[in-house]
Amino acid sequence: MLELQPKPQFSVVIPPKLLQEGYLVTFSSDWPSTHVAIREKTFRIDAVNQVPYDLSYILPEGTVLGTAPGTIYRDVDLSNGTGTFNESIYPENQNSLFEVLVGFKPGNFISHWYIPAGKTVHNLEYAQMYPDLTNTKRQYLGARQPKDSPYEDPRIKLYLVKDLAPLIMRLYVLPGVLWEKIVVGLTINKCHMRELEAPTDEQLLKAKVIRYYDYLRW
Amino acid sequence: MPSVVIDGVLMAAQTVAAERENAVVQAKSLTIDNQVGAGDCEIAIQDSFAESAYYNNTTLTARVVNRFKATVQAGDIITWGEEDLKGVKCLGAMLVDSDVDKAACLVTVGYEHE
Repeated sequence: MLELQPKPQFSVVIPPKLLQEGYLVTFSSDWPSTHVAIREKTFRIDAVNQVPYDLSYILPEGTVLGTAPGTIYRDVDLSNGTGTFNESIYPENQNSLFEVLVGFKPGNFISHWYIPAGKTVHNLEYAQMYPDLTNTKRQYLGARQPKDSPYEDPRIKLYLVKDLAPLIMRLYVLPGVLWEKIVVGLTINKCHMRELEAPTDEQLLKAKVIRYYDYLRW
Repeated sequence: MPSVVIDGVLMAAQTVAAERENAVVQAKSLTIDNQVGAGDCEIAIQDSFAESAYYNNTTLTARVVNRFKATVQAGDIITWGEEDLKGVKCLGAMLVDSDVDKAACLVTVGYEHE
């Protein structure tokens, strides 16, 4: 049989996961005055460069060392520095935006997120409803597990600019496994930005709005 | 899948697969051939790694942990497949250790870095 494939009536286009050359980004007005170089400004992405980077840590679970539950964890500081816990993946230039995808290989662990250090991103509104590793229930409050953002299909996305407050990923091995290897796969999409002095309304509508982290904690 | 033959077991651990930073070593197959010579062999798959620094601790403590252990009697050959070894995972380097030195006891390990 001879068959002529009919022309499809529609096709599904899956947009790229990462910012691409020519895309527009706008930094909202809630960025503080310390970020005056980008606050309320619109930029065109002139160049992108994806940099893969795997981080790994072998951590014990509390009972291995006979310590109280919830007291052994690793704070991974993504900001720049020479400290033991700094991973130094922040931009150093004002016209750089780092869009970072974070994925986890499978394992018995959870992650909590803080920005700046000590200030959780995922608390609720009632008193004491914040993540607490020493509490068997609230250690899961706001916890991101490997299945939430798999290594092969990462779903946690971060936007980093120069001098942003330190973003902390707290990694904790769940009870019952003694030790676990935590592999964190990063894809750092380095974006070189050029400011649009007078963006049109259409450009503003198209631009991806990047808000300051405080909006997560109203 | 790579595999390694340990041609004669020793009481000192021998390396099967080196540690890879961004992966664990998963055992996929294991054959212990103790058909030749007298004497049973107790064979262990060991995991050798160093802990990372964590809150209030920057000492990178080295650890060696048994992940699998079996005794194979003289004259026997035993094979374990992927299903049997599910969960035998080494965070660091994978080693093979024995309770006796025996040149005639052969251990074949298939593994994958995942």
